[in-house]
Amino acid sequence: MSGVASTLAKKRALAAGFGSSANAVPYLNQRFEALRTQYRESGQLFCDPTFPAGPEALGFKELGRNSYKTRGVTWKRPTELVSNPEFIMGGATRTDICQGALGDCWLLAAIASLTLNEYVMARVVPSDQGFGDNYAGIFHFQFWQFGEWVDVVIDDRLPVKDGELLFVHSAEGREFWSALLEKAYAKVNGCYEALSGGSTTEGFEDFTGGIAENYDLRNPPSNLFQIIKKALEAGALLGCSIDITSAADSEAVTRQKLVKGHAYSLTGAVEVNYRGRQEKLVRMRNPWGQVEWTGAWSDGSSEWDYVQGDCPHANAEDGEFWMSFNDFRRHYSRIEVCTLTPDTIEDDSVKHWSVSKFDGTWRRGSTAGGCRNHPYTFWMNPQFVIKLEEEDDDPDDGEVGCSFVVGLIQKNRRRMRKQGEDMHTVGFAIYELPSQFHGQREVHLDKNFFLTHAQTARSETFINLREVSNRFKLPPGEYLIVPSTFEPHLNGDFCIRVFSEKQTETQPCDDPVSAELEDEMVSDEDVDAGFRGLFAKLAGDDMEISAVELRTILNKIVGKRTDLKTDGFSLDTCRVMVNLMDDSGNGKLGLGEFATLWKKVQRYLSIYKKNDTDNSGTMSTPEMRVAFKDAGFTLNNTIYQLLVARYSDTDMTIDFDNFVACLIRLEMMFKIFKKLDPNDSGSIELNFDTWLNFSMV
Amino acid sequence: QFIPSDPPPPRRPAVFAEQDESDEERQFRRVFQQLAGDDMEVSPAELMNILNRIIGKHGDLKTDGFSIENCRSMVAVMDSDSTGKLGFHEFKYLWNNIKKWQGVYKAYDRDGSGVIGAEELPDAFRAAGFPLNDDLFNMIIRRYSDEQGNMDFDNYIGCLVRLDAMCRAFKTLDKDNNGTIKVNIQEWLQLTMYS
Repeated sequence: MSGVASTLAKKRALAAGFGSSANAVPYLNQRFEALRTQYRESGQLFCDPTFPAGPEALGFKELGRNSYKTRGVTWKRPTELVSNPEFIMGGATRTDICQGALGDCWLLAAIASLTLNEYVMARVVPSDQGFGDNYAGIFHFQFWQFGEWVDVVIDDRLPVKDGELLFVHSAEGREFWSALLEKAYAKVNGCYEALSGGSTTEGFEDFTGGIAENYDLRNPPSNLFQIIKKALEAGALLGCSIDITSAADSEAVTRQKLVKGHAYSLTGAVEVNYRGRQEKLVRMRNPWGQVEWTGAWSDGSSEWDYVQGDCPHANAEDGEFWMSFNDFRRHYSRIEVCTLTPDTIEDDSVKHWSVSKFDGTWRRGSTAGGCRNHPYTFWMNPQFVIKLEEEDDDPDDGEVGCSFVVGLIQKNRRRMRKQGEDMHTVGFAIYELPSQFHGQREVHLDKNFFLTHAQTARSETFINLREVSNRFKLPPGEYLIVPSTFEPHLNGDFCIRVFSEKQTETQPCDDPVSAELEDEMVSDEDVDAGFRGLFAKLAGDDMEISAVELRTILNKIVGKRTDLKTDGFSLDTCRVMVNLMDDSGNGKLGLGEFATLWKKVQRYLSIYKKNDTDNSGTMSTPEMRVAFKDAGFTLNNTIYQLLVARYSDTDMTIDFDNFVACLIRLEMMFKIFKKLDPNDSGSIELNFDTWLNFSMV
Repeated sequence: QFIPSDPPPPRRPAVFAEQDESDEERQFRRVFQQLAGDDMEVSPAELMNILNRIIGKHGDLKTDGFSIENCRSMVAVMDSDSTGKLGFHEFKYLWNNIKKWQGVYKAYDRDGSGVIGAEELPDAFRAAGFPLNDDLFNMIIRRYSDEQGNMDFDNYIGCLVRLDAMCRAFKTLDKDNNGTIKVNIQEWLQLTMYS
């Protein structure tokens, strides 16, 4: 409830390394170690108050309170289900993951791939827990959530129907890591039902913090084999599957023993010398550990006899098999590649891509500009610059350039499904920056730039998925990325990531926060006789102007003007103005103070008129951003968002009284900062009393 | 110096909010849903309407009504995601405070004038949990009371909401508890302009 301060505090904590892979954030402030110790010592089993074992944890619609699916569901701990439960037996394997009554096969496929990578597995499923001496009914898992690692604590009460686990369970029956992992993931997303329907890539990313790309094999990029090879070298997780056309097709086995609608892992890619020519091969793994491809290059097939030189092991382990890349492309429908970041695993044997990540927000009226179809507002979106310096190594496809992947993720939307919200339709555009902008990061490009420059590249589509990601190859240079929702004025939070093979520099691109402050102070002596007479008439006997008198004066003046829209200056606004302008500290304005304020209001009036380009009498929020620049204030997205939220009306316009109130406050706050920072150190230190003294006005 | 009331519970996913709620809370939730409309968030205009409806029922509180400016400011100091609206938990927190502070207002309006006079103010604010020094009290009277030094109900609530938020903001940013906070220009503007 501390408003902006809590946002700032969080930002500072993240900058200090909170939420990095080595320092996961305790989700909902629940600390696993402390809680487990506490419950161990009290001899009780943990019951999670933040995710109570009840109907709300199951779902809201199909799994809602009164649905037939949840009828008769009880919650039981593993110790109540079997006599000797285990957390993990003999390592995590694919058979530990059998789907239950929930449509979250995408998640299970991701978990299955996870079991193939020890490093990744160990970080998501910490091994410091089990049903042994330390058991206290509490478990924890770590997920990547939009740039932060969170440590999620759960109790081990699982939903049970007719004596069986309702959702994920192990084939063996007494191994529980997969069911508990699913519960922790449901907690993060609000409830079990929120997990129904999704793409494997979403799971991939939340377990690794990597970036996932999705390729349609009917229409693959020409250098797909190269992409796969490079991804494998970089330790990526690769999944592929054969689409099904009907539910009956699910897990149907083709003549050559490939399983439809089933998630395979791709684990290797080589080129061999076969009958005097190069043949591309890929190694696949069926997570069942059996049912292998029987076509060309399968285990023990004759093709292997004609390979010269280096030859991979032709009789791979059970479930694993080779096939030619051409057959692969023909039989499979899609491939998902999740490239890992250095953040995920510390293994020097693989080549990692470099990654940069930034958070951003779209806000109605200020930074939610919509896509390029809306030229009037598009430029207001957050902007990022990427600098590509070095071209890729060995461009086998013959095209030189710098490869990079841009991923745009919208945050927290799955969790909002309960309230009827869902994903926004999002995407991004990329512009080449002309040389005059090179090296500049402190500039927010304006409407003119986008009207006069064409985009260089863009996300393939605008789509209502959690993430839009695309791969690009562009010549070295500087480029601007503009992420947006399709329609303007939708509130949303996002994070944008850029992955590249070579070191690249990615930076937010925004105006600095600065002000050119004119010294407009008018002393009592400077005031001319005419104004002095006017003042005497307005101020009355005490020769001071109070907030009430100020309101009367201002409203009299604006009331006469038909070219200004305003609902009148409120007493609150006038109080703030008086207190900000009141140097003498008596709560009223003397002659000089009033003359100074008067001069400001006159200046703001002319700026207001000049920037009201459509002569509507009010200022639209894009007009406001330009007007503030005219008034000498350069502000960035963050500040604009706040000003629009605070001073604009519901129709996203600013009327004259709000415009003046906002500018006067802004000017005073800049001045106070300058006064407290006489040496331009860039920051000020305040004690409690000083803080209240300034912030209460 | 500042003694904050208990912090609100951590923000729980809305999906669990109905769990373990008392009847009173459930009733409050229904009121909130009516008030906030489909987006489940309270805008300054909605806040103004509800506050003015309520003070209309209390004849003993002197007020010229909550202005939109005052309500905008209250929403701003409590809003952490810059949407310009309050969510359920923020609104509930505000609501409970207003109820509490209304009791203080009545108790410390010793002369029954319907307003808090300049002499009554320090005790009233102390009772509300804000023991400030004289300079700050004087500043507050200058800013929030009328020319006679009287604070009416809408100004009183506006002032306390802001004071509570600013005290909380200070505590939040003073991580090492050394009694000072350090901010750069952007942070300074974020804190003081959105209020």
